Amino acid sequence: MIADRLLGLAFIGIACAAGFSAWNLVVPFAADPLGPSPFPITIALVMGLCGAILVVQPVHGFERPERLAAPPMLVLAMVLYALSLVPLGFMPATALMAAAVALLFSAKPAQAAVVGIATALVLWGLFDKLLDLPLPKGILPF
Amino acid sequence: METFVALGGGFAVALQPHNIALAFIGCIVGTAIGVLPGIGPLNAIALLLPFCLALRLPPESALILLAAVYYGSGYGGRITAILLNMPGEPSAVLTTLDGHPLAKQGRGGAALAITGIGSFIGATLSVIAMTFLSVPLARVAVAFSPADYVALIAFALSLLGAVGGVSAPKAWAAGCLGIMLALIGIDSGTGVERFTMGSFELLGGIDFTILAIGLFAIGEILLLIETRLRAQAEALHGGQRLTFSEVIFCIPAMLRASSIGFVIGVLPGAGASVASALSYTTEKRLNESNGKFGQGDLRGVAAPETADNAAQIGNMVPMLSLGIPGSGTTAVLLGALLMYNITPGPLLFEQRPEVAWGLIASMYIGNCMLLLLNLPLVGIFARLLTVPAWVLYPGVLALSFAGVYAVSNSAFDLLLAIGFGVMGWLFRKMDIPLVPIILGFVLGRMLEDNLRRAMSLSGGEVSALVASPVSIILWVMTLAAVVWPFLRFKRG
Repeated sequence: MIADRLLGLAFIGIACAAGFSAWNLVVPFAADPLGPSPFPITIALVMGLCGAILVVQPVHGFERPERLAAPPMLVLAMVLYALSLVPLGFMPATALMAAAVALLFSAKPAQAAVVGIATALVLWGLFDKLLDLPLPKGILPF
Repeated sequence: METFVALGGGFAVALQPHNIALAFIGCIVGTAIGVLPGIGPLNAIALLLPFCLALRLPPESALILLAAVYYGSGYGGRITAILLNMPGEPSAVLTTLDGHPLAKQGRGGAALAITGIGSFIGATLSVIAMTFLSVPLARVAVAFSPADYVALIAFALSLLGAVGGVSAPKAWAAGCLGIMLALIGIDSGTGVERFTMGSFELLGGIDFTILAIGLFAIGEILLLIETRLRAQAEALHGGQRLTFSEVIFCIPAMLRASSIGFVIGVLPGAGASVASALSYTTEKRLNESNGKFGQGDLRGVAAPETADNAAQIGNMVPMLSLGIPGSGTTAVLLGALLMYNITPGPLLFEQRPEVAWGLIASMYIGNCMLLLLNLPLVGIFARLLTVPAWVLYPGVLALSFAGVYAVSNSAFDLLLAIGFGVMGWLFRKMDIPLVPIILGFVLGRMLEDNLRRAMSLSGGEVSALVASPVSIILWVMTLAAVVWPFLRFKRG
């Protein structure tokens, strides 16, 4: 119940911010009679209204995860991957990320290492060799 | 006659060797992702799209591949539902009711066979209906003015709250959020920056694949990692095989399910889940005296699976003929076409017949391939269920990121996709449907463009929005779709 109320408030907040931002657009020239503001403002109004209904009439609560630590850890692993992909290069970054994710899916360390290396190799072969798509090289020479 | 000539032209495209090969790959990938819980057609198509673009596949080939993944997934979902008692796809929920009891009685093979046949019948009858219905529907839509389109899109979006048992305000708010995400970037009409929050990376707008991969691939894995998988697959072999008389016995149910599936599929907003649920309850009610539904009735698996596949194909009709997708996955297919600078809609059949008819023809071929793949080789796909999560999902995640990176070559977009993933996970935990976000994202720009065009044509006169009979009817239906959930709520 609380979760839905907060959600409703969040929707109202986003709607206000978006509506306010659309309201204050400076239009140098008018290409069409409507311009860029009214449509987003209308959408923001609808969204705010839906948020208000949720605050008044909440239906559902937040389901507690079975494994509390796993989702934030996964997010951390992904963010680290996004930040290290270009400096480290595709192969090392992908191997580390895949191994970390395998561990989070309760693999044994040896299994995780194999998964990490295999994933990186297979994808590198697929992208770089087969499809010829650009991947960041990073610290390795290939 | 005209239709047969056009369809013949489509077969000329679809029977080219590389297109046959792509359809075949699509069918295999589609069945496989249908089997695997947590990977659906939506995220698979979002993952494949960057490769289609990077490999410069022509639009008809890309669409043939992506669509094969889509309708192929309808064949795969049943395997997980029957053997694991867990739907591989949301629309396979009803299949578990009778499918798992059948598997426990040792008749898993028979259940898989009858659903394979049902999927083929449902999909093929739907493709036939689509062949004859698409062009007449497109002809009607050619006469639509921008104002009519505004009403049509508003109707499609309003339906999101009325169906599928979700909370209506949540569905609509999610739709609005999708529209707002679509508006981020430079407004093409005036050159004004909207919702960019001063970010240079957001000037060009959010790429469609990044939103889809984030919400559906990354979000899904976050959802998977927080629960412990403990389901155990039933054995496939042993027990009495499916007999010919049993197939005949199920035919009437399959025919009914095909029509229900197609009609529900064509309606915007109502997807395969609604169709399979409706056909299951229909069969249960019709056969109250002689059925053992819930304890392993073959019709109880045949009907929902047939309807599921029929609805998936039906979903493609409004997407191709009107340019208005009715489900999340067809929204992704529409997004794929838009990335190829092809606007689906009434003119598609005249201007790009090779795309429209090539796709339709390939669906006849693809469904035959799927029938062959799914009857004798079903055991191979079932074996996918024994692949441990720790092998599968690191690869899926790495593939997601590689796909995002291939589109944009920017680490910023990776972070954006992770952000959408976290959003998708939180939303799912709070029972907010994600399909409206993707539909809103695809339809938002279209809605605004048509609205502004309508206003330009009328010189800013708002009453022009309800000037034609078509638009009046559509707005009345929109109003009904908006009011309906509240009436239902009061009664319930």
